[in-house]
Amino acid sequence: MICPVCKSDMFVIEYNEIELDYCNQCGGVWFDQGELELMLKPASSENNNLLLKKILSSRDAVTLEQKRRCPLCNKKMKKVNIGYPDILIDACEHGEGLWFDGGEILKLVQQLPTQSTKENSNEQNVVDFLTEVFHARKQD
Amino acid sequence: MWEQIRSNRNKSIILVIGMGLLLFVLGYFLGLLFLDNATGGLIIALIIWVIMSLTAYFQGDSILLSISKARKISREDHPRLYNVVEEMKIASGLEKMPDIYIIDDPALNAFATGRDIKHASVAITSGLLQKLNRDELQGVIAHEISHIKNRDVLLMSMCSVLLGTIVILSWYASRIMLFGGTGRSRRDRSSGGGGAQLIIMLIAIVLMIFAPIFAKLIYFAISRKREYLADASGALYTRYPEGLASALEKISSSEIQVQAANNATAPMYIDNPFRKKGAAQNLSSTHPPTAERIRILRSMSGASYVDYNQAYKNIHNTHSIIPETALTASSGAIPLRSAQSEKEGELDEKKQARETSDVLWRLNEYKTVDCGCGVRLRVPPGYRGTEIKCPRCGSINQLK
Repeated sequence: MICPVCKSDMFVIEYNEIELDYCNQCGGVWFDQGELELMLKPASSENNNLLLKKILSSRDAVTLEQKRRCPLCNKKMKKVNIGYPDILIDACEHGEGLWFDGGEILKLVQQLPTQSTKENSNEQNVVDFLTEVFHARKQD
Repeated sequence: MWEQIRSNRNKSIILVIGMGLLLFVLGYFLGLLFLDNATGGLIIALIIWVIMSLTAYFQGDSILLSISKARKISREDHPRLYNVVEEMKIASGLEKMPDIYIIDDPALNAFATGRDIKHASVAITSGLLQKLNRDELQGVIAHEISHIKNRDVLLMSMCSVLLGTIVILSWYASRIMLFGGTGRSRRDRSSGGGGAQLIIMLIAIVLMIFAPIFAKLIYFAISRKREYLADASGALYTRYPEGLASALEKISSSEIQVQAANNATAPMYIDNPFRKKGAAQNLSSTHPPTAERIRILRSMSGASYVDYNQAYKNIHNTHSIIPETALTASSGAIPLRSAQSEKEGELDEKKQARETSDVLWRLNEYKTVDCGCGVRLRVPPGYRGTEIKCPRCGSINQLK
């Protein structure tokens, strides 16, 4: 996959049998729809890509941040807020997956673990997984 | 036991001949209209058809596989898939093991191709491979293998060539007529015999409009019939119609469309690769409605053709779908077997997904680095460095 930010070939990280596409240069992460589904399945008995649908139905966040293009379908992605005050991620409008900029991953990792009120929600599971994978970046 | 399939094939062949006749009538009148010469039109139609047929016959499978970006795999790449294909090859009595391809596409679909039993391939998308358990995979592969076994692949590719020729001829003829007039020779003589000329022109116009539509309807009718037969054979080979039924259920609930599919390749897939719905969907669909296919499979009381036919009749209250000869020849009841997957300590979905992506990374020449912290890194072939920092634990791993 080609990184939507710096256009280089992305690496793949496999952790706990879940794959993430990871850009070695900008630190951005692509969480693919299929992998989200795989990760959330045991936790929620509900319909699989509910999380993406929910995220996509939320309002477009007002921001000056540049729009990114989905690495799979090349359409402009939507800026959305996923529960944390100043973290804006990009979601593919066709539901291909979620994009986290390198800086957003950093902010997520540096959050205090108990900051979110929504325990065990799908969003929380995604964030927990990402912090688990990238916790070494705390020192960055 | 397999000679009976021929009867069903004969009916299909009549339809194919119908399409052929349509092509010749079209060529005949277009020849009269543009060249003042019916034979000329016939010859042009014939030449286009022969060239396209030869290409389809000798190159069709490789063209199809390359536009779908399919990758050939061996036993070591994906043992589970290879074993299932081998099982179904034996169950169907196919002489030669078909080539197996994986298409790197998250959509859920599969198809069979190849001009005859000795040059056959089955292809499956990585998305489908990840989603199916062993029983479901068996159902899908059995369905595809029976397309090969029933010679559907050749029949359908010859049909699509005929359809293509008719569409191309009509398309060009209508453009020439709209923008270029109908040629000098006709206009030179237009002082005399205007009535006959007008009739020819009318017939030609009607043909230009309706021949492609008729050809498509015939084509779709043939295609749908083959799907029912392939479902029936799939149930017979696996003795477990529920496998195919539940695979079809998964396929139809998916919203992702096959990226490499187009109108010409649609009938090759196990389920209609297009997700759009419309009023004329049933008439112009290459596949019977999936819900109906699932209902037939689920109401089978045994695994034989007779059982499938009975289930079909119960739902439709009409004539049989399986040819008479096949019904009489399949002697004796064939009992259903129970599910295999649950007994065998089946791989869970994550494991299935990793098994499949493993193959794809390898085929795409990604290097694999296992870091001590439990992270596995896949490095793209274009990466120039000799070491890579693990994003989880921060340790430096050497690239081999």
